[in-house]
Amino acid sequence: MSDFRWRDSPDTIARLVNANDIQTFSKQQVMLKPNEACAMIVDGRIGDILTETLLKSMAGGFSRWIGDKVGVTANDRRLLFAMTGPMDYWIPFEGQLADGEKAKGFANLRLRMNLEDVPKLLNYFANNAPVLNRDGLISIIASEVNARVVTPCLASCKSAADLRDASFLERFEMTAESEMRNLLSNLGFTLLKAFPITNPTDMELVQSHRAAVQAKTAGTEVNVEAQLAHYAQTEALTIARIELETNVARAQARGQVTVELEAELKDVRAKEALWEVERNHERGQMELRVDEADAKTKRAMDMFAQVQERKANRVANQQNFQNQRMENQNDFQTKMMEMAADNGALTPEVMQEFLKQQTAQKAVDGSGGESTRNSPKMCSCGTALMPGWKACPTCGTPIV
Amino acid sequence: MVGTPLDVLPYIRGVQLILIGYNGYTKGSRLENDKIVREEISRATTRVRSHMQNVFDLQFKEGNIDIARAAKKSMEECDYLIEDVDKAVSGMEHAFLSGQRSPSNKDLKKLIKHDHDVIEMVTKAVNLANSSEHSIATGEGNPKQIIMQTTQMVSSCRGFFGARATVLAGLRQKKVKK
Repeated sequence: MSDFRWRDSPDTIARLVNANDIQTFSKQQVMLKPNEACAMIVDGRIGDILTETLLKSMAGGFSRWIGDKVGVTANDRRLLFAMTGPMDYWIPFEGQLADGEKAKGFANLRLRMNLEDVPKLLNYFANNAPVLNRDGLISIIASEVNARVVTPCLASCKSAADLRDASFLERFEMTAESEMRNLLSNLGFTLLKAFPITNPTDMELVQSHRAAVQAKTAGTEVNVEAQLAHYAQTEALTIARIELETNVARAQARGQVTVELEAELKDVRAKEALWEVERNHERGQMELRVDEADAKTKRAMDMFAQVQERKANRVANQQNFQNQRMENQNDFQTKMMEMAADNGALTPEVMQEFLKQQTAQKAVDGSGGESTRNSPKMCSCGTALMPGWKACPTCGTPIV
Repeated sequence: MVGTPLDVLPYIRGVQLILIGYNGYTKGSRLENDKIVREEISRATTRVRSHMQNVFDLQFKEGNIDIARAAKKSMEECDYLIEDVDKAVSGMEHAFLSGQRSPSNKDLKKLIKHDHDVIEMVTKAVNLANSSEHSIATGEGNPKQIIMQTTQMVSSCRGFFGARATVLAGLRQKKVKK
């Protein structure tokens, strides 16, 4: 038993195999996977459609050859193999938009084949080679896709921007679903999905170029701004560094000066303290001297006060003595006058003499001891000198 | 090997009304049963798709894009379900050699009930799709709402069918006796 390979390329979609053409000594078997199907057409009638199975003895082998020769087998046995799973087909198109701009691209159709639709491929194989591949199917449906789907959809687009619109994709898919059913159904295919992929149009390329140039310009601007910002940053950084270094140097200098000043201040403080001690010492000595002088002055003042007091006492005693003496004399004279009056001796001559003596006495008593000292002196020029004068007002001779 | 559980017989009978040849995964026919269940789901979904296709064509031509869009969405959902069903796991024929454990009564009950429910659900979707087309034809009801219900039912069916994989996944590992 040998395996029969009906599909030798990923592009193969279906193949119609005439089992009678397979004349091998060993029997042929084929494995049908879940996405593969085989419709058996025996003597012109469609038989079973198989999938997910191992189809044993499908062709070849000695017994079948004998059967053919004897005529106990079918006269015509064909096997129609097909892929049922979804497959993508890219159909190129070229159309025109409403504004006259050309649009190129591909229409993607995703097709699937139902199991019971596999025999419909006989419609294709009736007029074509027994192998259907992607290119073959595209060549069949391309013209209809272009005519029924692409052209109307492109014509409804006013500009290239409409091609990128989601509604265009939806309209395209719906149009394909509706318009392509007839052909696809005849071939046994079911449309799962359809969407266009349009290349950039000329105007879009221009816009793209413009956008690229603008982007480049903007990029350059950004670079320039970034460079300027970098320079500004560098400048600020340098200035900050310089300021920092200056500040550090200044701080160091200030610190050194401060240290020096502190040292000097310390010396000054020491000197001040020394001076303070000296000043206190001198102040103490001066105070001592002042106290001593004050004490001397006070003692002198006290002594002067004692002298003055004694002088006052002496003057008072002297005054008292004179007053007492004058009273005694007055009493004596009174007694004398009374005695003279009693004796009748009081004559005018007596009275006159009495008054004369009394006046003289009073003059002596009134001037006291100083009467002679306070008597005005006479200058050599004949001017009378008053007590307290330093020189003669007439001749200018100093008074000793 | 276990026999067909009796308590799922009503389900088997229900499925048999639709699928001739379904016998509830009896020995030697499990892959066959699985295949015909999946084919039935796929076929019914194709019916839903056909109805939605008709609705879509008509509404698109008339310019009712809203309804056409809903119908297209429903068609896409049908495509997804068909693809899911076509490429679904089906278990192995030789459990002993494959490393699978043999299905127990519980597994079979789950599978049979699941088949019944999925087929019932997809049948409802067919009915809804039919109703939507009828609604458009007669002008009664809200066709868009019915279309969306159909989409929802197909979508639910897709999700529910996915649960089948978890049932089959339970068969993949033999239980190790301690």
